[in-house]
Amino acid sequence: MIEFTSTPIMLTLILGAVGVLIPVINVARKEKGSSVYGVIALGALLAAIGFVVYQILTKHVTPSAIFSSNVLVDDKFGSFFAIAMLIVGIMTTVGSFNYMRGRANPAVYYSLILLSSIGMILIAYSTDLVMLFIAWELMSIPTYVLAGYLKKDPSSNEAAIKYFLFGALSSGIIIYGISIAYGLTGSTNIEQVIAGFSKLGPDMMPLAILAVGMFIAGFGFKIGLVPFHMWLPDAYEGSPPTIAALLAAGTKKAGFAAVLRVIIMGAIALNLHWAFALAVIAIVTMTVGNLAAIKQRNLTRMLAYSSIGQAGYILIGLSVAPISPIGIQASLFHILNHSVMKAAAFIAVAGIVTTLGVTHIEKIKGLGKRMPITALGLTISLLALAGVPPLNGFWSKLMLFGSAIDAGHTLSWAPYLAVAGVLNSALSLAYYGWIIRKMYFEEGESNKRLKEPKSVIAVMIFSIIFIVGIGVYPDPVIEFAKSAVPIMSGLPAIH
Amino acid sequence: MTNGLIDFILVSVALLAIGIYGIAVKRNAIRMLFGIEMIINSANLNLVAFSRYIPNSQGQTLALFSIAIAAAEVAVGLALVIVAYRMYRNIDIADFRSLKG
Repeated sequence: MIEFTSTPIMLTLILGAVGVLIPVINVARKEKGSSVYGVIALGALLAAIGFVVYQILTKHVTPSAIFSSNVLVDDKFGSFFAIAMLIVGIMTTVGSFNYMRGRANPAVYYSLILLSSIGMILIAYSTDLVMLFIAWELMSIPTYVLAGYLKKDPSSNEAAIKYFLFGALSSGIIIYGISIAYGLTGSTNIEQVIAGFSKLGPDMMPLAILAVGMFIAGFGFKIGLVPFHMWLPDAYEGSPPTIAALLAAGTKKAGFAAVLRVIIMGAIALNLHWAFALAVIAIVTMTVGNLAAIKQRNLTRMLAYSSIGQAGYILIGLSVAPISPIGIQASLFHILNHSVMKAAAFIAVAGIVTTLGVTHIEKIKGLGKRMPITALGLTISLLALAGVPPLNGFWSKLMLFGSAIDAGHTLSWAPYLAVAGVLNSALSLAYYGWIIRKMYFEEGESNKRLKEPKSVIAVMIFSIIFIVGIGVYPDPVIEFAKSAVPIMSGLPAIH
Repeated sequence: MTNGLIDFILVSVALLAIGIYGIAVKRNAIRMLFGIEMIINSANLNLVAFSRYIPNSQGQTLALFSIAIAAAEVAVGLALVIVAYRMYRNIDIADFRSLKG
């Protein structure tokens, strides 16, 4: 039995109790529309992140174990993702303070953010396919509502419907994959499923490959891997930009947690070919994402395509994971960095939308003079996304490409992953640089300084400190990512 | 014994195929919801059928959870479709064209 005071249970209690309580307070209170709910949600998220850090510092957390006989495990891998998700939750909540002013039903909005955060956190902690599926749905269902939150706005509704249809299809595919895995192995525990897969005869192997393929397709929809990415730009563009931050930085990274928990199953079922398959998906994903981003004229849409490209970089580390020991470590580090960078970029766009009401790239000319702090935060996060030293994105990309070159000893094709990654980073600098050029080097309609939303300023300052701070001194986070890597000794030898 | 299992799996695969066909071909939001429901229910049928031949009840437990979750999911989906209908007087997703690029 997992203890009552373990991290996942306590986080569920804290966030769940507050998430359920906020709408109740809203009904009890007479006056409508106030940011008090946001402050309560922020308090819960801060308490949750404090508890995770306390559990790690007092060594109540076990070392990373990918398997457990329980449905949940209280390990460093889960805690790493919990911290990343809670940082995203905090940035989204704070960034929404000004955006939500004067909009309907703030209580439900913040409550749904909390409930979705529980789902994201539980995905990273779960070691049973039943738990994984339920956490997956707990993460997804609130975000469908949040994407369609502006119910008078046709594009928000359209984004929500597209996101919902593909999200529901992906969960259908995941549960079908789980049913095949259960039928083949007689268990839903991930450890027993993997043990069962490795004992399968050759006549049953195609079914195991089908199950793993369904997992990759189902999780791939949420992550935005390339054959499954068509909904993503529409969903991010139409939903409120603060929710786009939650989707790009939160749910997408939780999808990677699910992939990491289940990927070992792929390692055993498909042996070596799965690594090659993932590598092909990685290269196609980053190239398609970056090429499509170049021709976009809308900031949120450009960031959406860029987040497809970033998913490709993260996949590099996963595809070389069985050969290179730093593969997963690099992926985890990039997941944390990308969460903060992308959330910061989307919150900056939310600030621009709140103040100017525009997202078109021609309309943000001269933003460096009109909204200096937002523009600086956006610039820093874009440079970090492109991987410019000395920002944090540089170190994680260096580790990802390094792991691909490191794997070259065993897999002759692995260094091409690094080549593709470097070329794509150069390509991505073209459109990131273009946004920066519009903001600083072109004259806008006026140079009059506008009043920037305070909550956006707070998020910008936090993310600038985070991005530059980790860029200058990355060692502690790299160490933490290293300790969060699951022990991979169960993998088959590579021939 | 095993002959019975094959029958269940055949029905389940047929349901899965119909569901995917519905999502891929139909452009009416409600019909696409039908397709999603069929996929989830084909997985439920699989789980319950396997659970009959495997000496534990994890499959039936997951099927129960999955039915409840599918209900919640479809409730959200129908709410979104109703909002769309109020705006467009139509639920053909090919007509939703405000986002492109």
